[in-house]
Amino acid sequence: MTSDWKPAFLIAGLLAAASQPATADDLFGSGKLLATPGVIQAEGAGGAGLAAWATISGYGTDREIGANAHYTLVALDDFTFQSAGVTVGLFDRVELSFAKQWFDTGSAGGRLGLGDGFNFNQDVVGAKVRLFGDAVYDQDTWMPQVAAGIMYKKADKGDIVRYVGAKDDDGVDFYVAATKILLNESLVLSAGARLTEANHFGLVGFGGPNGDHSLQFEGSAVYLVDEGWLIGADYRTKPDNLAFAEEGNAWAAYGVWMPNKHISVTLGYADLGPIALQGRQNGLYLSLQTGF
Amino acid sequence: MKKFLLPVIAFLIAALPAHADDSLYQALGEKAGIQAIVQRTADLAFVDPRTAEQFKNSKKDRLVGLVTDQICELAGGPCTYKGLNMKKAHIKLGITQHEFNAFAECLTQAMNEAGVPYRSQNKLLAILAPMARDTIER
Ligand code: HEM
Repeated sequence: MTSDWKPAFLIAGLLAAASQPATADDLFGSGKLLATPGVIQAEGAGGAGLAAWATISGYGTDREIGANAHYTLVALDDFTFQSAGVTVGLFDRVELSFAKQWFDTGSAGGRLGLGDGFNFNQDVVGAKVRLFGDAVYDQDTWMPQVAAGIMYKKADKGDIVRYVGAKDDDGVDFYVAATKILLNESLVLSAGARLTEANHFGLVGFGGPNGDHSLQFEGSAVYLVDEGWLIGADYRTKPDNLAFAEEGNAWAAYGVWMPNKHISVTLGYADLGPIALQGRQNGLYLSLQTGF
Repeated sequence: MKKFLLPVIAFLIAALPAHADDSLYQALGEKAGIQAIVQRTADLAFVDPRTAEQFKNSKKDRLVGLVTDQICELAGGPCTYKGLNMKKAHIKLGITQHEFNAFAECLTQAMNEAGVPYRSQNKLLAILAPMARDTIER
């Protein structure tokens, strides 16, 4: 995992060295205001819960670099999803992320003929660039911050995902997100459109008998309750490409506690829709994040 | 009847938004509260390692007086800001985003100590945030 994101740091360091003579303190100064970058969403991008936002992850300002590690657990009725990874924000302009994800089928794996505790895993490599607008400073206009992103996903069980009908074991998501912090209302609103062919975020491969790339929606509404305390909810539509089992839309509701710029805990409830003939899958959503 | 009602309606229309507009001024503790918050913000920002350098040649009392009038007016209070516009006041300083946000954090701490409700704090920050365009160097 380390080797995967080291190059990002290297490039970032070179860029910084070229652009200004900054001390280490300046470069990693965590200059953004608390909570304004959001947290890390399910696939490793800056956002919250299930939705990618237009914000650039981490507390680095336009002259700084931010980076965060995350661990996320979604404990569903029949399955367990886990994700761990690193997300880097460069000069509040570019975001690079890497996440490793595990989807444990538990005893449902046995019922599906895969074997008890069968794991669908995937790697997600993401990049996002802020196009225009500033979610924090543009308080006097309706202009949101807008960013475009890409996620390359590679599922590890190529034979199995193809056996259940997926066309591919890797695929690319393209998304555009618009995020607005409405300080006057203590609200954050975000909406995004994602062109994707990922089955269950990509864990069960890409495309299938019912289609391939389609345009999907993801959005969040978050209320700033108090300094370091947020509550929010996301909604995300998903493709339904596989023939053997129906896939549905997902939502999550959560509270976030961020005592400072270096730690956040997201705790909530997620409903990922029906998965692999086991009915709607709901359960605990927990995400721990640390960085600067 | 009409002769009586029209001025009453006109008065209500004029009075309602004016009343609503001064809620932030009230939440900040009126002029005295704002003065204390700005004084505390300056006390913090003048020694904060992230911003102290910028204020090393500043006259604190004058700055506190000007910023107090400015925030009082912006919050809907009965004050008039008579200082320079934000661009002129900051153009030579080369203020960074990091410094701007650090200053906002000093202000937040001062408002916390003064017991200003979080939602009102955000309302003031919503007014000040766009000033980043004129105060931060490009
Ligand atoms: C929204 C944020 C800010 C507001 C509302 C504000 C307001 C003001 C005002 C009203 C003045 C006086 C203008 C005059 O001389 O007529 C001023 C001057 C000044 N400001 Fe700001 N300012 C802000 C942000 C900052 C920041 C972030 C810094 C540096 C970290 C800064 C440093 C200064 C300095 C050094 C002066 C000159 C003081 C002097 O001449 O004694 N300001 N500012």
